[in-house]
Amino acid sequence: MKFSAILPVARVLRRELAVTALLLLGVSVVVFAVLYLAPGDPLNVLLEGQSPRSIAAGAREALGVPQTWYGRYGAWLAKVLQGNFGNSIRTGLPVLPELARVGVNTLVLTLGSLLFTLMIAVPIAVHAAVNGDTAGNTAATVAAYVVSAVPVFWFGYIVVYVFINKLGMFPLLSGTATKQPHAWLYFLVPIFVLGTASGTLAELIRHLREELSRVLAEDYIRTARAKGAPVWRHAFKEGFLIPVTEIMSAKIPFLLGGAVIVEQVFNWPGMGRMAWQAAQDRDFPVIMGIALVAAAFVRFGSLLQRVVFTAVNPRASRE
Amino acid sequence: MRRYVQSPGSVGEFSQLPLWQRAATLDLVYVGYGLLVVALVLASYLLGALGWLPHDPQAMNVGLINAAPFTPGHLLGTDFLGRDLQARLILGIQAYFLPGLLAVTISVVAGSVLGILAGYRGGWFDTIITYFDNLLDSFPRLVLILLVIASFKPDIYYVMVVVGITGMPVIANLIAGKIAFLRQKSFIEAAHALGLPARTVILKHILWLNCRALLVIQATLGMAEAILVETSLSYLGFGVQEPTPSWGNMVQAGANYFLQGNFWPSTAPALAILATILGFQLLGDGLNNLLEGKRRK
Repeated sequence: MKFSAILPVARVLRRELAVTALLLLGVSVVVFAVLYLAPGDPLNVLLEGQSPRSIAAGAREALGVPQTWYGRYGAWLAKVLQGNFGNSIRTGLPVLPELARVGVNTLVLTLGSLLFTLMIAVPIAVHAAVNGDTAGNTAATVAAYVVSAVPVFWFGYIVVYVFINKLGMFPLLSGTATKQPHAWLYFLVPIFVLGTASGTLAELIRHLREELSRVLAEDYIRTARAKGAPVWRHAFKEGFLIPVTEIMSAKIPFLLGGAVIVEQVFNWPGMGRMAWQAAQDRDFPVIMGIALVAAAFVRFGSLLQRVVFTAVNPRASRE
Repeated sequence: MRRYVQSPGSVGEFSQLPLWQRAATLDLVYVGYGLLVVALVLASYLLGALGWLPHDPQAMNVGLINAAPFTPGHLLGTDFLGRDLQARLILGIQAYFLPGLLAVTISVVAGSVLGILAGYRGGWFDTIITYFDNLLDSFPRLVLILLVIASFKPDIYYVMVVVGITGMPVIANLIAGKIAFLRQKSFIEAAHALGLPARTVILKHILWLNCRALLVIQATLGMAEAILVETSLSYLGFGVQEPTPSWGNMVQAGANYFLQGNFWPSTAPALAILATILGFQLLGDGLNNLLEGKRRK
């Protein structure tokens, strides 16, 4: 990359980092608001629900709980920023190390499925954009619609059934997976399911196809074609890189949501399963931590997308 | 956030041909299928609400469990307790129909208001709404819903309020983009010059005459989303509970028999989900191509 291209990226990076920080602050406000508005004050349990207001206030004072909502938010945020997300109500373990432990699995699942989606969607979309409306392309587009409407939870069972009963492979309990031959293949099944049936596939095909055919019809591509320059090199940035990164970053939240279901179906020890368990037990320190971590992950993806966008399109930095 | 602003239409915009002659065949197929699904869902909802079912959905028949479709007396077979699947499928629509409408109403109404503020007032409102949009986009929807479930209670209407709120920014953005496009046109300026109150210009000239297609399209897509959320939650065990049927908990209940080779009790509701979500999505996208002119023959 030329030096002149780095400068605008640095400038945008600064701005985007500020925006990201602001958004993460907003995320913390939303999470806190949900917890704040939730019924059931722990103090009521402590005072056995028979406390007049004055006693409750006194108890709060004694326990060092701030009286006002912003006081409580400040205290909570300070703890969260120090990495103290509290302890799980069910297991009593601190939330953050637990999240880090299972978060890796979810990261593998989501990024793997994103890669898988790319491998399927890109050839179809590029082929469709270059060749226009042929019967095969129409069929592929319709098929992408159908596949993206398949409920993930049912599709998971189909795949499990086919692999166990028909092919006689895959230990589908995560604990035993490591002891079997081909254990690494076990990882591919949930990735395949999430990558196929999460709606990302259809969206990526549609968006990439639209953008690429729009770019291929632009004047500068016609000029490139006329003077015999490689069309690909000219169309790549605007027609391929930008739409692909756009959809990828926009779909991260959907994939994380889909991971909740896929992890449930496949017993995959990740954040999604943890979220399910936490919601089941009303273990809100855990679910709160998951929401914060997931949102941070989403914002990071979007930050990356902005960086790519500015790097290939320095004009954007002056917007 | 890049905002999509329409470019002024091509000549085809003013074509006098009727809509179905201008449209691509594929879009007509999409819309046709979508309308069929909507009609079926509506009819089934009414049947379920009135209790006009082919069978008692709770009556068990232990002698006839996991029956295949076209078993005499049970057109779509039975589930693991010998309950009629057809009746349960029809009744399962109750689980998402009204909650889905609630979610769609919230996102359409609130989204329009925000969109008008952003597009018409601009400036600060625009910045705030873009921020709000990015903020809501930061959460995986299902995680946000699980957070609300854990903090409040697993109530489908709470969930649908969340779905409605998270669906709002998309609509706000589209409306704002539309207004940005419309303001370049002379009829808005003319309406202002004639001294029409802003209320009339917004409600009649912008929302009713120019945004109703967009709102219908977004409502359809929102309904598909709501159905997906409801069935997913019922599958996960946070939505409708047995013995009340929902397509999600039917898939889940049938799944126990899946590995024994009894596909049908789980597949029937899954196919219902597939066909319905596909219908709403195709209707939305087809209408979008047709009315908002994204694709022309």
